[in-house]
Amino acid sequence: MTTLMADPMLAEAWTLSGSVALRPEPFGALAYHFGNRKLTFLKKQQLVDAVNALGDSKTVADALTRAGIPEAQWPAYVKALRGLATSDMILERKPS
Amino acid sequence: LIEEVSIDGM
Repeated sequence: MTTLMADPMLAEAWTLSGSVALRPEPFGALAYHFGNRKLTFLKKQQLVDAVNALGDSKTVADALTRAGIPEAQWPAYVKALRGLATSDMILERKPS
Repeated sequence: LIEEVSIDGM
C-alpha cells in the first residue's frame, strides 16, 4: 500500500473557524466568514464532509479518510484546504 | 473544488 504523505498539511490538525457558517447547497456548501466577510463555494460534497470532519480528526489525512476521499485525490483536496486556510475559513489547531 | 466570491462589490 502506498501512502502519499508528501504534503506536510496532511499530518497537521486543523478545524473550521468559529467565525464561519457553512450552508448546505445542492453543489456542496456555501461558506461565509463573518470576520473578513469572505464568501467561498465548496463545490464537492466530499470536501464539505472533510471540512466538517477536521475538528474531530487528529490530522487532515484522517479527515480526508473519514470523508471517503481516495488517496489519489488527496493532493487536489489539500490544495483546496490550503485555499480555505488562506482566507481563514479553516484554522490550524494544536494536535489533540 | 472551491470558488471564492467577492461580495464587497454588491
